[in-house]
Amino acid sequence: MRKLYLAAIAFCTVGFAVRGQAQGGLSLQGLGYPTGQLSARAEATGGGAADFDALSLVNPASIAGVGSAALYFQYSPEFRRVTTASGTAKTTTARFPLAVGVLPMGQAWTLGLSSSTFLDRSLETSLSRTQIVGDSATDTVTVTERNRILGAINDVRLALAWSRTPEFRIGVGAHVFTGSNRILFSQLFPDSAKFISTSQSGRISYAGFAGSLGIEYHPSRAIGFAFSGRKGGDLRAQSGDTAIGSARLPDHYSASVTYEGITGASISARVAHDGWSSLASLSSSGIQAFDGWDTGVGVEASGPRILQRIITMRAGARFRTLPFGLNGQKVSETSFAAGFGLPLTRERAALDFALQRASRSAGSDIKERGFILSFGLRVSP
Amino acid sequence: MKISSLLPRLLATAALFVSIPSCSEKLDSSAACPVLCPAIGGDVQNLTLDAVVLDTTVQAFSGLGAEPGLLLAARGDTLDTRVIIRLDSLPTTFVPAGDTARPISSVDSAYLQLRIDTLSIKGASSVTIEAYDVDTTANDTSTAAIVALFRPDRFISAQTFVRADLKDTLKYYISNSAVLGKIQNNARLRIGLRATGPGSSQLKINSAEAGLTPVLSFRATPDTATKPLTVLPRSKTPIGDAIAASHLTDYTVIAKAPAAAPPGTLAVGGLPTHRVYLRFDIPSSIIDSATVVRATLLLNQSPNDAIDPTDTVQLLPQVVLAGKVVTDPAKAAQIVGAISIDTLKLTPGGAGLTNVELAGAFALWRAQKPDTLPRAITLRSVSEGNSPLEIRFFSSEDVAALRPRLRISYTSRVPLGLP
Repeated sequence: MRKLYLAAIAFCTVGFAVRGQAQGGLSLQGLGYPTGQLSARAEATGGGAADFDALSLVNPASIAGVGSAALYFQYSPEFRRVTTASGTAKTTTARFPLAVGVLPMGQAWTLGLSSSTFLDRSLETSLSRTQIVGDSATDTVTVTERNRILGAINDVRLALAWSRTPEFRIGVGAHVFTGSNRILFSQLFPDSAKFISTSQSGRISYAGFAGSLGIEYHPSRAIGFAFSGRKGGDLRAQSGDTAIGSARLPDHYSASVTYEGITGASISARVAHDGWSSLASLSSSGIQAFDGWDTGVGVEASGPRILQRIITMRAGARFRTLPFGLNGQKVSETSFAAGFGLPLTRERAALDFALQRASRSAGSDIKERGFILSFGLRVSP
Repeated sequence: MKISSLLPRLLATAALFVSIPSCSEKLDSSAACPVLCPAIGGDVQNLTLDAVVLDTTVQAFSGLGAEPGLLLAARGDTLDTRVIIRLDSLPTTFVPAGDTARPISSVDSAYLQLRIDTLSIKGASSVTIEAYDVDTTANDTSTAAIVALFRPDRFISAQTFVRADLKDTLKYYISNSAVLGKIQNNARLRIGLRATGPGSSQLKINSAEAGLTPVLSFRATPDTATKPLTVLPRSKTPIGDAIAASHLTDYTVIAKAPAAAPPGTLAVGGLPTHRVYLRFDIPSSIIDSATVVRATLLLNQSPNDAIDPTDTVQLLPQVVLAGKVVTDPAKAAQIVGAISIDTLKLTPGGAGLTNVELAGAFALWRAQKPDTLPRAITLRSVSEGNSPLEIRFFSSEDVAALRPRLRISYTSRVPLGLP
């Protein structure tokens, strides 16, 4: 009997298996994919117009330019294709990355409350492998490991902006980062009479805070500049009542310029830097997070007039580094976008549409392509 | 319609068609594995424990006659079993066609309809089935008392069957006068069947417990326009115990059985039929802390050449559902639940290591505390009560190398959470 308990003690001190990263895509490494927190309009301009866009969650000063009270909701499904040496996977991820409410208060002040997806970690993988189960080396079985993770870290921002004149706007934002990841891991065996299929489930909750500041300056009607920054606070991860990790939310800085010297057209460019590496400590297996640049340029121009409404046409390109690497390599994303804006119901509503084609790579044979469709509906009540 | 008014509608329709299918997610990117998704769970580890704290052989049934079959066997010096059919309630009147009820004054074409399991038949030569009057005022469940009644003055009838006559349904004719005598005396008709013949023979008759009870049929009048009377077995004893009386409507009496297993041996099946009860002491840390993916009871079989050593016996492990208040293993072994439909196929003459898979039991044990669900199983023969074949295993009283052991295959729990 003593032997039995010694065996049990040995059994329990084996410890946990080191968990690999079963993400199934280049963009799904680590804590997930950063959607960018851009509206469909900003996405269609490669992110160039983001710092001037009241509906993107980038620059709190921009909400001062909203004009009238607005509610905005965005739906952005992504059709992804991952190609590796072992095969090609096609997935569809439905995202609702942005919901915004902006309310002008008086002549100078504007209040905005918005929620956006910061890091989306929705994935599912299934891997079959041969395993020896028993004393004999010939006693093998094919076990299927199924891993499903759903959820995201979201950024909820309360912003206040001030603007006396169209030339200058300034805004501040208070951010609450919240959300959760639900995880379901199953090991499935083919013969239930011999083997016990197992299933584990878990949930991680996230909570963190950040503050942001932004300005917009238009020295002339032809040109404008915008600068914004977000200073990250602590981001804590909990499983149940237990703290399982913490990190600093990444600092974010961006600068943009827009040129409106051509009648009916606007050209904008943006460069931003994200300190993603601060999230590296929020890991149990040593994920690699890289600081990265996010650059984009785009054009927005008045298009054809349909039903007495002017359709705005947009196009842009964007290059950025994704936060989490693969095998020590950075994952970069290059995307080209196009879209349009369509005023509806006597200017009280507008539909923005963007189509992005994103290519991601990490310096290896693994390629990832994604088509992201964004539908944004703005309503002015 | 102008193109200018058509375009927005076309755009809206296109957007709708694109967005509707994209509402349903398809996240599975398994095709990119294993490059992008290496294995998460660790390798399976094996641990073999001397975890059996109690192993014993217990009676398989809670009472006489509970078996689903009636074994009629004459296997020389090895096995001799008889079948008892109780017809304690015989009709005394009948209704002729187009007439009113009248007392039975004659019996014609009396026979027992027996349902035979033809796959169970052993012996190629003819078999003679003899019937005896086994009604007694003595202890009517005493094997010795009943077997003693198979004597010439109790003889009722005999009928010989060649192998080809033994079909699914067998008509066994018995003495009309014997039946009439019981009817007119308002007495019980308790028939004992015995097999004899030039060679050994064995067959299984389905019993009331199997839903195919033997039936007595006879004519109370030569007039064929009147339907024959049929009588189902019934036992009026023991008085006040309807369940036991129901079991005793038909049952098997073992006049001679193969030698019992030696003490300390675990025996499954046989006659009288047995189950093996095994209780384990498994540290809760094993069940609770790790992910058990397979659990195997390792038994060493001891050869039993007493009868049909090369025939196949199917064994079925079952989990004991009796709580800890049931301390008697024999009683606990009656309160069981299925954990698998897969049977273990062994021959009585076999020897060596046998694996009994306990995956189903572990799945239950993981969900229930030991106080509620003891870590115990039984091993039973699928044909228990209907077959003399007995599988034997070495018990925990034997040398260490032959004792039952428990092998647990497990993986460490995967810490779900941060990547």
